[in-house]
Parts: sequence; C-alpha cells; structure tokens
Amino acid sequence: MRHDAGVATRILTVEDDARIRTAVKLALEDEGWKVDEADTGEEALELFAQGPADVVLIDIMLPGVDGFEVCRSIRRMSDAPIIMVTARDDTHDIVAGLEAGADDYLTKPFAPKELSARIRAMLRRVRTADSGATHLRFDDLEIVPEEGVVRRADEEVHLTKTEFRLLLELANSPGRVLSREVLLERVWGHGYFADGRLVDVHVRRLRTKVEADPANPRHVVTVRGLGYKLQT
Amino acid sequence: MRLSPAPASPVPPRAEDEDSSDGASPGGAARHGAPADDDIVVPDVEPRRRRRLTPARLGLRARITFAFAATAAILSTLMAGTTWGLTRENLINQREAAAIGQASRNSSIMALRIDATQDSGALREALASLEAPTSSRPSVELAGGSTASLQPTLGPAQVPASVKAAVEAGQPVRMRVTIGGEPQLVVGIPINDGAAAYYEFVSFVELQDTLESLAVSLFGASVVTTLVGGALGYWLSRRTLRPLANVGLAAEAIAGGRLDTRLEGTEDPDLNVLVSSFNHMAQALEERIDRDGRFASDVSHELRSPLMTLAASVSVLASRREEMPDEASRSALDLMDADVARFQQLVDDLLEISRFDAGVARLSLDEVILPELVRQAVAQRRDTRDDVVVDLGGELDDLVVRADKRRLVRMLDNMLGNAAAYGGGATRVAVEADGDVVRIAVEDDGPGVPVEDRTRIFERFSRGAGAGRRGTSGDGVGLGLSLVAEHARLHGGRAWVEDRPGGRPGARFVVQLPVARA
Repeated sequence: MRHDAGVATRILTVEDDARIRTAVKLALEDEGWKVDEADTGEEALELFAQGPADVVLIDIMLPGVDGFEVCRSIRRMSDAPIIMVTARDDTHDIVAGLEAGADDYLTKPFAPKELSARIRAMLRRVRTADSGATHLRFDDLEIVPEEGVVRRADEEVHLTKTEFRLLLELANSPGRVLSREVLLERVWGHGYFADGRLVDVHVRRLRTKVEADPANPRHVVTVRGLGYKLQT
Repeated sequence: MRLSPAPASPVPPRAEDEDSSDGASPGGAARHGAPADDDIVVPDVEPRRRRRLTPARLGLRARITFAFAATAAILSTLMAGTTWGLTRENLINQREAAAIGQASRNSSIMALRIDATQDSGALREALASLEAPTSSRPSVELAGGSTASLQPTLGPAQVPASVKAAVEAGQPVRMRVTIGGEPQLVVGIPINDGAAAYYEFVSFVELQDTLESLAVSLFGASVVTTLVGGALGYWLSRRTLRPLANVGLAAEAIAGGRLDTRLEGTEDPDLNVLVSSFNHMAQALEERIDRDGRFASDVSHELRSPLMTLAASVSVLASRREEMPDEASRSALDLMDADVARFQQLVDDLLEISRFDAGVARLSLDEVILPELVRQAVAQRRDTRDDVVVDLGGELDDLVVRADKRRLVRMLDNMLGNAAAYGGGATRVAVEADGDVVRIAVEDDGPGVPVEDRTRIFERFSRGAGAGRRGTSGDGVGLGLSLVAEHARLHGGRAWVEDRPGGRPGARFVVQLPVARA
C-alpha cells in the first residue's frame, strides 16, 4: 500500500534481536511504510502511547514484559491490528497470543513478502455490504457498515477491526455457512492453508461481545465440520 | 527381530550383540579363533532362540503355583503318613492286647476243663462255650497230639511251628500270620505246664478294612490339600503379580507416548520400593524428553533468528535486483535467495523431525474436506505440470475427514515436491476412499523406484544415489519422504511407494490414513 496524501502508515515492530529488527525494518521500509522500532515491551508501550501505530508487530519471546502482555496492553488502548511473531509453532503459544488480542500471527522465520501481505490485508479498508445496505439488523444485533458501528440491544459494542470485518463477512451472507477457509481469505487475506484457529479464536472473542450468552450463541453459530454462519 | 530363513553369509559380529559372544555364531567362533567351517553357515538366530527358551521355561506365576502345590503335597503326605502310622500302631496294639487278654482268660478256663476230661468232643463243646467274639477261633492241642478246634481250617494244624515250639517250651507267645489270605493273630498259651496248648486265632480282617478305609480317606485329604494349595498359590501369585502387571501396563503406556503415566502407591512397603523406583524412572524419562523438546524449541529460536535476518536482508536485496550493475551480483543474489528458502525448509523439517523424535508431536485434529484440500495443494505448487490429472473420485467431492490439516498439506506437498524433483512432475493425484481408510496417491511417469529401494527412500536423508535413481537432481534435502511417513504414522496410517498402475513406467506414492469419517 502506498500511503496517501503524505500520511505514512506507521508500523511498530517489537523485537529484541537487533539484527532481525533492522532487517525487517529495511524490508518494510521498502514497501513505503514508516517503521518504529522497540526492543523491549516497555519501550513499545511507551512508543505506542506517544503516537498509535497502524499495525503492531510483536515478537512473543521478549525479555521483561512478554509479548502476550504487550498485546493485552495495546489492546486496552487501541483497536490497531496486532501481528504476533512466534519462533515456536507451538499450539499453546499461538492460541494464547490470539487470545491476548493478536489479530494474526507469523512463525519465524517468515518471508518478508509474507509479512507485507499480512500487513496489507490488515490495512485494507473494510469491505462494505454487497447489498449496499447501510443498516443490517439481526434481531437485537445492529450493524452500520459505513460507520463501523455495531449495537447489541441498542447499546454500542466495541469491536476490533478484525472482529468487525469478520462479523460483516458473516452478515453479508446471512444464513449461509462460510467455511473457515473462506473467512480466512476474506477477512485475513490468507490462502487456503492458513490456520483455522485464527477464525475459531476470533469467533470466540466476537461472541463475548455480540452474544447475550456467549456459551449459547444465537447470532454467530457453528456448523460442525463446515464453518460458521450468522443466524437470521 | 525379524529373521530371514537362511542368510547367505555369516552375520558379522557386533560388539553390542550378546549373541555373537557365546561362540555359537560363526562370527563369534571366528573371533575366538575356533576353526570356522565355511560350508556350514549357522545363522546367528539359533543361539538367540535357545537363549529365549531357557528362562521362559516356566512363568513366575506357574512357579509359585507349583511351589505351593508341592509344599501342600509334601506336608499333607507327611501328615497323612504319620496319622496313618500312629493310628495303625495304636489300633493293632489295642487289638492285640484285647486278644491276648481274652486268650489268657480262655486258656485258664480251658485248663480246668482239660483237667476234667480229655475227650475231644467235650473239649470242642467247652471251646464253643468260651466267651469269645466271632472273630476269634480257639483251639487246644493236648500233649498226646489230639486236637480240638472250633474251625478245622484254623486249628493247631495251622499254627506255625515256631509258635508251637515256644508254647511247648512253656512260653506264651503271639504272632501275626496270614492264613488263607486273611491276616490273623495267633496266640499260643501253654496249659498245665505242657499238658496241653491253647491256641487262638484272632482275625484282623476288620482292622485291616478299617486301616484301608483310613488310608483312602487320608490319601483323598492329601489330594484335596494339594489342589487347594495349588489354587491358593495361583490366587496368591496373581495377587502378588498384579502390581507387576500394572507396571507392565504403565511401561506400555509410557512407550506409547503417555509420558505422565505413574503407578499408584500401595500400602505394601515392599511393593512401594518398586512403585517409587518405577515412578522415579518415568519422571526422569519425562523430564528428559521435556528437555529434548525444549532443546528443539531452543534450537528453533537460535536457528530461526539468523535465518530471519538473512531472509529479510535477501528480500531487500532482491527488490533491488534490477539495479545491480553486473550479472555476477544478480546470479549470486539468485543463489542466495533460493538457498535461504531451502535452508528455511531444512530447518523446518529438522525441527519437525526432532518433535517426532522427542515424542512431542501431537495431532491437531480438524474436519477437513479432503478433495478440496488436495485440489488446493496441487494448485498452490508452481512446479506442477499442466496436464496433471486430479482424480477426486467423483462422488467423494464432499468427503470430510478428521485429520491434522497442516500435516496433510505437508504430506501432499512433500509427495508433489518429490514427484517434481525425481519423477518429472506428478501426472495424476488421486483421492480414494476404501472402507474405513482413505488413500491419497501421487503418480509420476519418471523412472520409478526399484523394489529394493522402496523402504529405504522413506528413511531420513536417503536420496537415492546413482544414475537412473531418484535423487540425481540434487534438489530437496532428503527429509521430505521420511516426514511423509512420520505424519502418516502419527495419524495411525502409513505411506509407501509402488509401481504406477497399468504397467506404465513411473512411481505411485501412497499415503493411507484410517478415517473416522466426520
């Protein structure tokens, strides 16, 4: 994405290994993005407080305040998309990171092209409803795509960009089952082989916000073996 | 160890092989300087077989059962023998004493009679009038030789000479004899200082019957005791060995990957020694495997970080490729770019392998639409041939299986990569459902895999060597197929290679997985 009107997209990278940090910065700057670096969690939070970034890249294995904690702290301050980087493709770490608020993850070593693609997907504008509807209503759930607002029982709920995009994808084809692969492609811009747990964890988080009883979802329901759908 | 029926050559001795040191194998014999007969090749399997047989003669349980039965048999026989002996002694003594007492009373009565008359008829009447049980047969013999007896077959004529001689010498005597097959006690008493002799036969038949039935009872009791002893031994051995059986089950569970298996403590201090040392071992094993797993993770961090830097730096250079002034720089960059990718793949594969080795590889099961996955896997490869046939078996189009998606993709990708590297690219990729298994097959029209290499190529770093074999292209790192096999095994399935069907040249790589259809 080439930035518009001179306002550069800011990317905050948190990585304790100076060599990786520098190499990643070079690769991202090649894409035309402005890159802020932090080598500790504390520094990252400080930088973020001074001026929010558009995308945050966090290495989970950090000395001091660990990546999960940085994720949670940033999540409390902002909806900015967070991509976490883990050296381990350990199921536990990945799910924990996603639950701490990360929107996507990459395992080291990743190809810089892959990282740029993920960041671009995160920066993409929210796709508006195919129908062009300005208001989508499902029982007590109301979505206003243009404003990026979701209300449950007339009360505004706060969704991250990814959660909002996920909900909107489901809402754009109400009652139709969307497989995790389709959701991965449309929401995250991933290929077929991406990790379905991204969808599962985000659906879980979405439910805690849009469902009256997240354990017995009425809106975002699971269709076993097939995927998810928004109940009409 | 799987044994081939007749090895063509002697198996060379190995230091760690115990069997070769017992001299029975040709290698061992040769090493010990014994003349080896070249014509007779003794496979090294023989001593192993014998060795296994010897300690396995009788199981511990059988031995305990047997020991209990034997002890019970010995003790009960001893008790029965003693009882029988003492009882017999007692009964005979009693019976003899009674007989002697009675005979002596009767002889006194007869002495008076003989004083009065010597007529044999009168004497027989006198004998008949004696108080005597039915089992006794009294008789008298006068000094003149005339006799009188109640029963002619048990009279003085049947009295043994030694008894007669003693009585004639004035000595009362008793003796046990067998007459007509019946045991008898003969008592001889001199009457009136040698004027006559009183004899009485007392039958011991009843006593013998009694003793016989006692013997039968005692024998029966011994047999029952032995059986009870054996049964007790069996029960006890089972009870005693149950903790051992539990140890066996626990060991199997650990071998099967459930590393947190522990034995429960018991109240028995003796068993607790075993339990605690077993648990200690299991703990140590688990910690060690954990350590190995952590090591893999540490290695991952150590190797991946520099790789990360390399990859990012190379990509920055690659984006400036066209600005490079000379061909040499561009070639070097291309080489670096390609090999950084290969290096990454190698590190990924090594880490995957190390997870299998550490036993920490776990399936992450998911519902997967298999035909779709295969279609996607074929489509995403850039080196697939344009004419590749993807045969998803028609009606199988919505075949959903529970499997680890990532591993499925790795398997397929590795097979496709293998076909591209060594078989000129896959010609056909097929999904086949067959009962409760599914098969994913990748076929190529390359040179195929010789029968003798078909197991070996699934081993690590085993690219085929030599012209006409797989591996001549030098691409790949030789871990792909071994990972295919490992992933398949983790799913409870297997992988193999066979001839391309229809007699056409080429290879067909197959992964077969058991399916709990979702």
